[in-house]
Amino acid sequence: MKKNIFNSFILAGVLLASCQKEVTEIVPPDRLSSDLAFSTAQKAETSVMGAYNALQSADYLSGRALVYIDLLGNDIYDRTNFFGDLPRFNLLSNAGFAGGLWNAGYISIATANRAIAGLAANPGVVTAAKAKELTAECLFIRAVSSFYLVNFFAHPYNFTAGATHLGIPIVTENFTSNDPAANKPRSTVAQVYTAIISDLTAALADLPAIYGTAASYASKTRATKAAAAALLARVHLYKGDYANAKSVSLNVINGQYGTFALNASPAGAFGPANYQTAESIWSIPNNTTDNPNTNNALPQHYFPGGRGDLAISTNFRDIATNPYFAVDDRRRNLIISGTTSATASSFFTNKYPDIATRSDWAPILRYAEVLLTYAEASAQVATGIDADAVAKLNLVRDRARVGAPQYTIASFATKTDLINAILGERRIELAFEGHRFWDIMRVKGTVTNKFDGDGVTVLPAQAFGANKSILPIPQAEVDKSAGILVQNTGY
Amino acid sequence: MRKSVTLLCFALLSSLMLLAQTRTIKGRVADEKGNPVSGASVQVRGTKTGTTTDAEGNFSIAVPTTAKSLLVSSLNYANKEFAIGNGNTLAITLKANDASLEEVVVMGYSTVRKTNLTGSVAKVAGTEIENRPNLSFDQALAGKAAGVQVSTSSGLIGAPVNIRVRGASSISSGSQPLIVMDGVPLIQGDNGQLYNPTNALADINPNDIESVEVLKDASAASIYGSRASGGVLMITTKKGKSGAPKITYNTYFGYSQPARMMNVLDGPQYTSVINTMRTNAGLTASAANGDYNGDGITDNTDWQDKVYRKGVTHDHQIGISGGSERTTYYASLGFNDFENYIIVNRQKRAAARLNLTTKVTNWFEIGIKSQFTRTTLYGLGSGTGAALSGVPFGPLTAYPNVPVYDATGAYYIGNGGNTVAQNTPNPVAVQNLNYDTRDNRRFINSVYGEISLLKGLKLKSQYNTDMQIGFTDQYWDPAVGDGQGLAGLAQTVATDSRVWSWFNTLNYNTKFGDHDLGVLAGAEYTKSYATFNYIFGLGLNDPLIRIITPANYATTGGENGIDVNNGLASYFGGVNYGYKGKYLASFNIRSDAYSGFGRTNRWGYFPSGSAAWKISQESFWKSRLITDLKLRASYGITGNSNIGNYPSLATFAPTQYANIASLNLNNPGNSNLRWEQTGQFDVGFDMVIGKGINVVIDYYKKRTKDLILDNPILATVGFPGNTITENIGSIEASGFEIALNVPVINKRDFKWNISFNGATNKTKVISTNAFGNDIFGGQSIVRPGYNMSAFYLIRWAGVNSANGMPTFLDVNGVAKQYDHSAPAANRWTRVSDGAVTTAITAADRVVLNDKTPYPKFFGGLSQSFNYKQLDLSFDLQYSLGAYTFNNTLQNLVLMTGTRNKSVEILKAWTKAGDQTDVPRLFFGENQSTLGSTRFLEKADFVRMRNIQIGYTLPKKLLEKAKIANLRVYAQVQNAFTITGYKGMDPESNANGNVNIGLGIDTFRPYLARTFTFGINLGL
Repeated sequence: MKKNIFNSFILAGVLLASCQKEVTEIVPPDRLSSDLAFSTAQKAETSVMGAYNALQSADYLSGRALVYIDLLGNDIYDRTNFFGDLPRFNLLSNAGFAGGLWNAGYISIATANRAIAGLAANPGVVTAAKAKELTAECLFIRAVSSFYLVNFFAHPYNFTAGATHLGIPIVTENFTSNDPAANKPRSTVAQVYTAIISDLTAALADLPAIYGTAASYASKTRATKAAAAALLARVHLYKGDYANAKSVSLNVINGQYGTFALNASPAGAFGPANYQTAESIWSIPNNTTDNPNTNNALPQHYFPGGRGDLAISTNFRDIATNPYFAVDDRRRNLIISGTTSATASSFFTNKYPDIATRSDWAPILRYAEVLLTYAEASAQVATGIDADAVAKLNLVRDRARVGAPQYTIASFATKTDLINAILGERRIELAFEGHRFWDIMRVKGTVTNKFDGDGVTVLPAQAFGANKSILPIPQAEVDKSAGILVQNTGY
Repeated sequence: MRKSVTLLCFALLSSLMLLAQTRTIKGRVADEKGNPVSGASVQVRGTKTGTTTDAEGNFSIAVPTTAKSLLVSSLNYANKEFAIGNGNTLAITLKANDASLEEVVVMGYSTVRKTNLTGSVAKVAGTEIENRPNLSFDQALAGKAAGVQVSTSSGLIGAPVNIRVRGASSISSGSQPLIVMDGVPLIQGDNGQLYNPTNALADINPNDIESVEVLKDASAASIYGSRASGGVLMITTKKGKSGAPKITYNTYFGYSQPARMMNVLDGPQYTSVINTMRTNAGLTASAANGDYNGDGITDNTDWQDKVYRKGVTHDHQIGISGGSERTTYYASLGFNDFENYIIVNRQKRAAARLNLTTKVTNWFEIGIKSQFTRTTLYGLGSGTGAALSGVPFGPLTAYPNVPVYDATGAYYIGNGGNTVAQNTPNPVAVQNLNYDTRDNRRFINSVYGEISLLKGLKLKSQYNTDMQIGFTDQYWDPAVGDGQGLAGLAQTVATDSRVWSWFNTLNYNTKFGDHDLGVLAGAEYTKSYATFNYIFGLGLNDPLIRIITPANYATTGGENGIDVNNGLASYFGGVNYGYKGKYLASFNIRSDAYSGFGRTNRWGYFPSGSAAWKISQESFWKSRLITDLKLRASYGITGNSNIGNYPSLATFAPTQYANIASLNLNNPGNSNLRWEQTGQFDVGFDMVIGKGINVVIDYYKKRTKDLILDNPILATVGFPGNTITENIGSIEASGFEIALNVPVINKRDFKWNISFNGATNKTKVISTNAFGNDIFGGQSIVRPGYNMSAFYLIRWAGVNSANGMPTFLDVNGVAKQYDHSAPAANRWTRVSDGAVTTAITAADRVVLNDKTPYPKFFGGLSQSFNYKQLDLSFDLQYSLGAYTFNNTLQNLVLMTGTRNKSVEILKAWTKAGDQTDVPRLFFGENQSTLGSTRFLEKADFVRMRNIQIGYTLPKKLLEKAKIANLRVYAQVQNAFTITGYKGMDPESNANGNVNIGLGIDTFRPYLARTFTFGINLGL
């Protein structure tokens, strides 16, 4: 009897201990402990892909970022008033649009920094060469994100001499806790550009030219030498450093980083099955299961079969206000009208037609841009009218205007005429791909003839450097920084 | 030898027979009303001779002639000793146990006689919950218990019900109390319908509830240690009583309608307001009235009228209870169908319950309490609240100058005569064509066995399960709203949640001399696990076929996941001691290990102690006025484990970069995370004045330290959601509570009873993080030294009557006005001299310390009247001192768009001298509507929650029909609310179960007012 009692106590003890273990020792089956994120070659590479995934945020490069740049410009209008005061340059400091961008931008930077640190902390998991490559991808991502952030939240490079005006905080370290060191003041725009150029230069050196084949999915969606060079050319262009913009873009055109070419049709790089052509350098991919969804996807905003929020304004369609957009321009075929009673009288772009699955890729770097960047930089650097600039401009223009005579040097009276033609061509060719507003601002232009949501009412002109031509630093961030982050004037 | 033994035995027997000369006594045992008491034990005093009564209460027993008396006992009745006279038939009447004296209170793993309570516990009887058209029982607790604030955040079915016991005890961890039903920790919160909230407590059949006890102070709640800092609600379901079976049938039916409406512009008003806004801004008129469906009448649609209706509701409940001496049972079947006033919004619930206990032997008892429920919730297919197609956003903001249907009878989709389009999808169309339906099956079960090991020592083992399986079926029609762009969408989510817990307790109760001693020791293990399975289809082929298959949708996909995965191991014990029934003390301790903490910080220890002194039992107590007085005091520590599954663990989760697999940090982790602890001191007294005026008064002070906070951090740190879970700072809450019960008149034919309760609460922030930083939550702030969640807003200074401009005070108190017609750089001017000045910005916000979303004084007042067969009751709830930010109105007076607007805008300034709070109409002006005190309103209210009038048919009449009782009644739920608040409802809360950011009214559907007529029938 005594023995039985003793045994039952032992049994009860064992039972209770196993119960305790079962309810307290829980290993999540759906997550990976962070210690393991860089523990194998496969995991390390997948973790680097996480930084691209951060860029692909709905608030950022897979849709909204491009939309905002165009909305601030004057070629589209917010037909459904979906974006409220954003296109009217009248946001409040707590605007969700600005908050979403800022957060997505810094998450991308942090994810890249985390991967750089993770690779460094786990030497030997991948080969040294592979580690260099993966690190270069992270540097590229950090540069991309910094570039978009600094242009959204700070005035253009040439706003002050030497770009000494406020930029954004530069973050290059990896934080693993709520570290006060992360509360950084805004660096100057010059410092931010220097950091971007340094990251891109380093990335350019170590990145591969292709992943597998030149047209592979990864070659078009992961960082390549061509992608780094194309972005670097744009950064130099925005900075007004035309010599470097010219030399870097020429390397891409010369095939130093792989062969790129324009497709036969201006529509050839858009729509399902066309994302991996030789014209695409780097895009943010989307697919059926991973896309920015009903309220953020490019086709939802742009395509009349979707929400059709963004209609093309007469300012873009009329030759009077868009003088290089000839009536026979094949790119007019990319403009379609709506099909419902509400959209029938409006016009939309057909660049993002995949409304069924919202899988349209966001075109970030396209070969046409590199050609136009080269043309503009070359034209700027030259003393007279630069023949090479005209030649590259023709490459882009000719496929859209098959019947029209080519430009020659004689077509332009002055260097300025040529530059205007290149800027005009850029406006048409890169329309609705997230360039317009910044292309106006970087050359100290003024946004005029911009329409409100009805497509009729003209909004006040927005001059270069106007207070609210840049977005507010999200008020929540200013609050959390306890005065370290300085708000933009006017907000 | 053998012979002699036999003889001896015979002799002994004879002598026994001689001694035991007996007679037979027959009798009937009945209660005070004359109803038979079956299964009562009848025993001859001083012997083992005994019997039990039959179903009619009759017994027959042979008693020795020497016997003096019979002992009669039965469960729920006071034991009675009955002298045996000369007669052979006896009529014995048993008195029911004195409810007030013997009332027991369920305290975790044991029960305590109410008189011996040393902690602060409020009890709400089931009668105050049943028969009312509430969607979940928690709604019925509003105003019923002092210090327990229950607010229903909207009239949408499934809207969260926030329960705050003594204010918030945390900043970002949950502050909902733990809810335990018959020992089963219940799954709470939102079950995860796609676009509609659900309340897991709606699965509980309110009519099965016997009582709800709210354990408020630390000594009462600490037996649940780590989960108790928000208080504990203990639900006890009904059980059978020995005796003849009782059958009850309760039913009600009625209808519901919106309790309140916000008025928006009609067609002509809308057109006029929009065009005035436009022309004032130098823009072309953009709105026009017209006939867009070709019926010859100018379209003018009141969308609220089209989307709201009288919803029919009905409820049926059959209960059977009874039992024998050894076995009792309660079984019920309930059905409730509630059609909300919003078209398509409806909840149906069918519930079955069986509670059964039986004494297998004298020392072994087993029992089972189980409930199965099926709840179907028909939600709003396009979302709720402020969603573009949601209710009430849709009906409040859709153009009033367009028709519902076009000329062909199809839903009208266009913009009518409105050229500046800002479309709200046709609210009737989206409700009727889209759906979001959840079918939920829930099984709540507990089984236990209890062994009496020794006298007073009981070993109990109970296994509890709460399982729910839900299936959400959601559909967006390709014809309208969000479904348009997707060419139709169907989504389903199957969820499977289970919580099991197993506890074993040893309870020892003994009495020696003047000492009463109770000892409890126990162990409990709890595991919670929930998974989901989601699939979707996009691009519908045939709209009549809704099943999600690649054959019918252009795209299909889906994923599985785990929502909940955590566990708790707990060991607890307690001692209760009483001396002469005058001096009472108790001590409890619980230690919990939560799986979500790192291994080193996993265990938390939660002790509490309390003492009480029944002064009125002292010989010196002579007061006739105060017949009973008990002083209580307690202190204890409770915790909060409402912090998610793996807050301390740094983890990466699989993600995708379109076709490329990726991994992203999904929780930064914090291995230093430790238990949040709330220390609470409570002092109070229970008093009876004269003949039955009950008074309970408490004062408490609680301090929570090591607050577990989803600390908002800078984006530059780079963690998902910009938060990290950290132990940060502390808050302190204090308050008084009073509960009064006054039987004003207590005559045979006329009774009038008043119950009143009230509570104050003040919650202050003591510290935040190491840097003393502010924590921001929407329009509120958490700042050390200030009240919890005080509003943090720019100060509105009204409309300048001279020029119609909106004016504000900057941070220094300088009044500035805004003129949108001026060039961008000159829009802000000083009111005093018209000089151009800097803009009013977020830097001009100030902390409004007195204005928080928490009421300063709140409670309830219930009155009941009984006159002969008539009864009448009123339940009043009140709340004073809270503020609500009227974000709904803020949106409905926006001048930046053309959505429909509140009638408030008709008060807009038009000419010099106009005194108004609405500035001049000016299209595009967005400063007057920025987040300022313009939209902060007092949320004081008095709400008549329930008025009920009933008539009980006289017994004589019913006896012929063999009916025990029959009552008919009529009632109004949410009869009226007296408030100066202009929004949806003063209790509106858009942010769910939060502590900062409460009190934001963002397009919350109005509460329903429900009229019902009902019958209570007992057989």
